[in-house]
Amino acid sequence: MAKPSSPNQKKVGARVAVVAAGVVSPLGFGLAETLESLRKARDCVSPVTRFSVGQCRCKTAGQVPDDRLLAGQGEGIRGHRLHRASHMMIQALKEVVTQEPQFKPELAVIGTTSGGMSYGEHYYRSLRQAEELRHAPTWIANYPAQKPVIDAQEAFGFFAPCQVIANACASGTNAIGHAFECVRSGRYQRVLAGGYDALAEMVFVGFDSLQASTPEKCRPFDRHRTGMVLGEGAAILALENLELAQKRGAPVLAEIIGYGISTDNFHITQPEPSGVGPRQAMERALQSADISAGEVDYINAHGTATVFNDAAEGKAISTIFDGVPVSSTKSMMGHSLGAAGAVEAIVCLLALQHQFLPPNINFQALDDGLELNVVANEAQPALLSMALSNSFGFGGTNASILMRKFEV
Amino acid sequence: MSLAIAGMGWATPLGRGVDSVWEQLLHGDEASATAISEEFGHQPYNVFRVPESALTGLAHPRLRRASVISRFAAAAGLDALRAAGVKLDPQNAERTALIFAISNGGVIYTKRFYRDVVDAGAQSASPLLFPETVFNAPASHLAAILGVTGATYTLVGDGAVGLAAIKMADDLMANEPLDHCLVVGTEEVDWLSCDAYRRWRLLRLAPPIEPFNEQRRGMILSEGAGAIVLARDGTFTIECAHPGGHFTKRAEAEEILKRILRDLCQSEIDLVISSANGTFVDQAEYRALQAIVPNAFVYTVKPALGESVGAAGLWHVIVAAQALRSAELPPVLHADPAIGLRLSLSRTSVAGARRAIVLSCGVNQQAAGLRLAIR
Repeated sequence: MAKPSSPNQKKVGARVAVVAAGVVSPLGFGLAETLESLRKARDCVSPVTRFSVGQCRCKTAGQVPDDRLLAGQGEGIRGHRLHRASHMMIQALKEVVTQEPQFKPELAVIGTTSGGMSYGEHYYRSLRQAEELRHAPTWIANYPAQKPVIDAQEAFGFFAPCQVIANACASGTNAIGHAFECVRSGRYQRVLAGGYDALAEMVFVGFDSLQASTPEKCRPFDRHRTGMVLGEGAAILALENLELAQKRGAPVLAEIIGYGISTDNFHITQPEPSGVGPRQAMERALQSADISAGEVDYINAHGTATVFNDAAEGKAISTIFDGVPVSSTKSMMGHSLGAAGAVEAIVCLLALQHQFLPPNINFQALDDGLELNVVANEAQPALLSMALSNSFGFGGTNASILMRKFEV
Repeated sequence: MSLAIAGMGWATPLGRGVDSVWEQLLHGDEASATAISEEFGHQPYNVFRVPESALTGLAHPRLRRASVISRFAAAAGLDALRAAGVKLDPQNAERTALIFAISNGGVIYTKRFYRDVVDAGAQSASPLLFPETVFNAPASHLAAILGVTGATYTLVGDGAVGLAAIKMADDLMANEPLDHCLVVGTEEVDWLSCDAYRRWRLLRLAPPIEPFNEQRRGMILSEGAGAIVLARDGTFTIECAHPGGHFTKRAEAEEILKRILRDLCQSEIDLVISSANGTFVDQAEYRALQAIVPNAFVYTVKPALGESVGAAGLWHVIVAAQALRSAELPPVLHADPAIGLRLSLSRTSVAGARRAIVLSCGVNQQAAGLRLAIR
């Protein structure tokens, strides 16, 4: 297929390496556990235990277990007070620092949708129901969205300025994309990029009220799909100017080579049905990377399993690509909102490193209206050089990034 | 590469319109406080509200159900584009980026949504309110009004987030084939946000805000929006947008601010727009200003307009631009004349002033700055 035509020219700039990565998600703690879960096509969605879901249609989510998450207590920095989101960010950054101790970021670009929302919920409930407010200052101090980013940096002695992007469910991919452009332009040499979100009652109930979440299994692109399940997690990628990374002998896990962003103004919670927004994001990512659609070997779809998203995204993918394998790994771990794009970037990274297609589980039959090559139910070995990751969000924000296997 | 301001828009407790608000500030006017209460809270709080008259002419369907935070943003954003003479069509809409700075976000609808959940259970949750609780709802509404199809970002942070958004715009315009970047800072106030800051010992119950006072009696929250259109050419040049930094303890704020000021002081600085708001921020800024730019005029708008958090950084930039344009500084209200800074205690001529530093030190660990020059 021909390259999409555009007035945009190839953006000449530095090559951008991923030199380290860390992740915490329902799939596991760290890259190794995540890889194993992906290969074994594990369903990591379970009944919600953090709050009551008795009145909700949906009763499941992808959850990060507290017994492991809180075991380290935030590396000693007032750990018992920190929000779970901070603990997830600390765990993810710990993995990055362990892999690449020399990496000192100049900037941290992190996506989220709800910050320390559950602490806001505690505070409001306590006020409303005239309960104990002794812990209110702790809840308030740990509620802001930038706090987990600062906490994680503090745990490892980093002081990089933070840009916290809240572009709804596209936040994580937007964060990586913007960080990529910052390094490619030469303005920055080393940037931390990623996303986080912790499960919160208000958000869970919100998606339930929209009937976007499902009481059944999450079946992206399936004819019988009935909606999403939520998830949580944190993921961080250390991006560095490739030349500098190689000069100092840093390992290069993969390259980020393109980023596309678009806004469709159709509706605050629904995509434009033809898929124009996702299509523009993917086309702009291809233009940014100066590659053709035919060079992409795998697409990690946004794939929430809502009727509207999958229809719009599916149309957009089949308009640009011809038979490229597609999966939504949200089927395995739920939709972690601001973390999703970052966690799924790590899924792409692992797929490129280990040469396999991550699965789209709970899949029975393709939606009649879609022409997609879905990686159904099991991981598959494959020769991969290039992977695309999509994230789309409320407010009509759409983002795509392109990652390439690193060849010396 | 330097970046220029091509247009500005301002919706404040003193009304709407850059020139109108500026005239009032020069005359020493300050916003009137309004007491707000909550059925389950014993303590009323005073805030500076935007008058309803400032929000006329915003009839777009996307704003019908939107919270005031989105209406403030639309008012300021549309005014800024008008002032810049920018009219978006499908071609240049793709070449225009929209960046929002927000701190507390849509707290009014968030509280209302969650109140229903707490009081009556999840089945009472409103699917109409929920989308308005999302941080990027105001950006989404303005993007739809303007028809922006390219990059739209919402940045979240504390009082420094406005300058972080300008820094992001600076980075975007260096990378992308963009003609314009509209940067909007916006905030709304609610009893809940007042109570939260109060419990954190940052808020006082009633005005005034007493800047640089050692007693740190606290701030008064306000609402509104500020917007600037960034372009390649314009009357004001952002010579340096500093990436800023964060502090883990309040005592570290001074050092961060000193570093920012040092980095921005490579040219001669005539005036500094400070973020002094009656909290710990003031002493950190006071010591940093004394150490690095002792001779510059210092002004803070917060005693007059209140602490608008997510909107504050944009307000500071507008103040700096207006001071350079009019060669005057308004009086710093409720300040002790004995304070060892060159405060503009009355309406002060700054004739010949070419450069200003804008500082934003937030109360939640972030600080940023930029240097603005008039051509």
